[in-house]
Amino acid sequence: MLFKDQLSFVFQHMRKNKLRVTMTVLAAMIGCAFLIVLASVGFGLQQTIKGEILNQESITEIGLWGDKALTEDDKIFIQEIEHVNVVLTRNEISGSIRSTFDDRDAESIGVAVDIKDQTKLPSTLSEGRLPENANEIAVGYHYAMRLLNETDQEIISQKSKEAQEQGSWYDGSEEGYKGDILNKQVELQFMDPETFEYLEQSTPFTIVGILDEPDYEFQIDNSILFSNDLFKAQPDLVSYPATTIYVDTLDNVMPVLDQLKENNYQVYSPIEQLKELDLFFLIFKIGLIFIGTISILIASIGIFNTMTMAVTERTREIGVLKAIGASPSIIQRLFLMESAFIGLLGTILAVIVSYGLSYVINAVLPSIVSFALSEDTPDMAGITFSTIPVSLVLLAGGISIFVAVLSGWRPARKATKIEVIQALRQEL
Amino acid sequence: MIEVQSLNHTFKIGKKGKEKKIEVLKNIDFHINQGEIIAIVGKSGSGKSTLLQVVAGFMKPDTGSVKVNNTEIAKFNEKQSAAFRLDHFGFIFQNFQLLPNQNVFENVELPLKLKGVQPSIRKHNVEKILEKVGLSHVADHYPNELSGGQQQRVSIARALITNPPIILADEPTGSLDSQTEIEILDLIKHLNKSANITFMIITHDEEVAQIAHRKLRMHDGLLLGDVKHVI
Repeated sequence: MLFKDQLSFVFQHMRKNKLRVTMTVLAAMIGCAFLIVLASVGFGLQQTIKGEILNQESITEIGLWGDKALTEDDKIFIQEIEHVNVVLTRNEISGSIRSTFDDRDAESIGVAVDIKDQTKLPSTLSEGRLPENANEIAVGYHYAMRLLNETDQEIISQKSKEAQEQGSWYDGSEEGYKGDILNKQVELQFMDPETFEYLEQSTPFTIVGILDEPDYEFQIDNSILFSNDLFKAQPDLVSYPATTIYVDTLDNVMPVLDQLKENNYQVYSPIEQLKELDLFFLIFKIGLIFIGTISILIASIGIFNTMTMAVTERTREIGVLKAIGASPSIIQRLFLMESAFIGLLGTILAVIVSYGLSYVINAVLPSIVSFALSEDTPDMAGITFSTIPVSLVLLAGGISIFVAVLSGWRPARKATKIEVIQALRQEL
Repeated sequence: MIEVQSLNHTFKIGKKGKEKKIEVLKNIDFHINQGEIIAIVGKSGSGKSTLLQVVAGFMKPDTGSVKVNNTEIAKFNEKQSAAFRLDHFGFIFQNFQLLPNQNVFENVELPLKLKGVQPSIRKHNVEKILEKVGLSHVADHYPNELSGGQQQRVSIARALITNPPIILADEPTGSLDSQTEIEILDLIKHLNKSANITFMIITHDEEVAQIAHRKLRMHDGLLLGDVKHVI
């Protein structure tokens, strides 16, 4: 029997029992759509969280544990590893640093870097340039905002109290120095590393650069960036080195990380979190798909019933077909094709419905969650609750059609077992 | 053409363990020559329909041999049996056995579809055979729109469409009035003469048996004799 004749035979019967077939297709669609939408939540949340990690600039960075500075030999060894762009050691200065500017002052943390290495990296400045000698500094984006005089402190204290009474907090963004701080001179006092008290002696520094705004709104950056020349001018300063290895691309982070580990360096990278995250979400998604598959199995009962009815109703027809020479395999195939078509139609409709539902979920759910939690919740607009990748469509479609064929298998086998004589005796 | 030897078949009836055996075919021997019309006559329950079913391959005999053109078909499996039927047999049934949701053209076309014949050839062959049985004008009608005689003609057209050498007919005029019966019997005689088709007709109607070259009578599973007569 030609394939197109088989198709037309199947469609003819499906048309004949439109209502019953439609209801079964709907059941299959609901089952499959439930699976896709449920699993899409797993995919969506994974995409959001992974995206958050990947969006961090530090994603191509490898951190080095340990409080000892790298030796020159170490640095050269690491630098020579393929795909390593820069090896940058940031020296965090012990204790805080007090800045004084006119009647204002602020407390900051200080970091000194090798400016040559720093310039090899993409610029982290929003204005100005990097410090080039011992008397120049670059300051954090919020440095000016944190330079407060007594009046500012009183206002902030008042506003904080009011905010606290209302259950929130105040970040002091309306106070601080409002002028342009770039190219201004500030006096800095370092702490005694033993007593942790500010030294009386202050040193003038010129602000030559302002760093980028931090990634997140809640982050306040009023740090001070020095060049390593600072240690020549202030030899008594104590600092804690933290080395970061910058790799050229994301794909090369893991190989470099592995190579460093093999050479007994204690290293870490956010990429490792991604691996754990992927594993977590894999298990999570398998769980969701398992639950979703149960709904498809429930729908399969409908397909089984429909096909059993079809076989029972068509007993005489099957008898005629067998009598005139239809082989058992062609009879079985015709019924399996019918159940597969029910599964296929259900899957196609389910995919369309699922994409629609996913769109609605992503459009509506963030606002509902934001509203339900509180107004101060960080912006939810960027969160993807539901994503339907092609792989999910293929997987759900595969499961759905497989289950549909499986449900039709027994009725189809029953059809092949029908005895010609018994069938032909059946009345119309 | 058809050679049946030592054919035996038993039906089991009743509950398992308390089954009763009924011998429906007892040591049947006969042969049919090419171009012959053979009528198997007998009362209800004599075993004549069972004999046709065994010859057609609808059921396997307990023992014995059925040869068609020297091919042993009694031991065929279901698939082999179906393929053999499609190539060698045409069937005419008492209740016509047409598919109600297919029109005349589609009903006649069905065996060609099963054989995998291309649509253009199918169309040509079906139109030709419908013309032969005088049904061209009702090709797009459905079975319930036809008279009994017309339905049986459709059934005959379907049996002939694959050009089988043998037609097995089970009470071919059982559901027809006497006038239509004469028409159908004439058609069978005509087909036998013009196309040299072999007919094995099962009937309890002596009138029908009159068109046969030979008449075999069955009684209680036994083939009583070969009653020869000339049309």
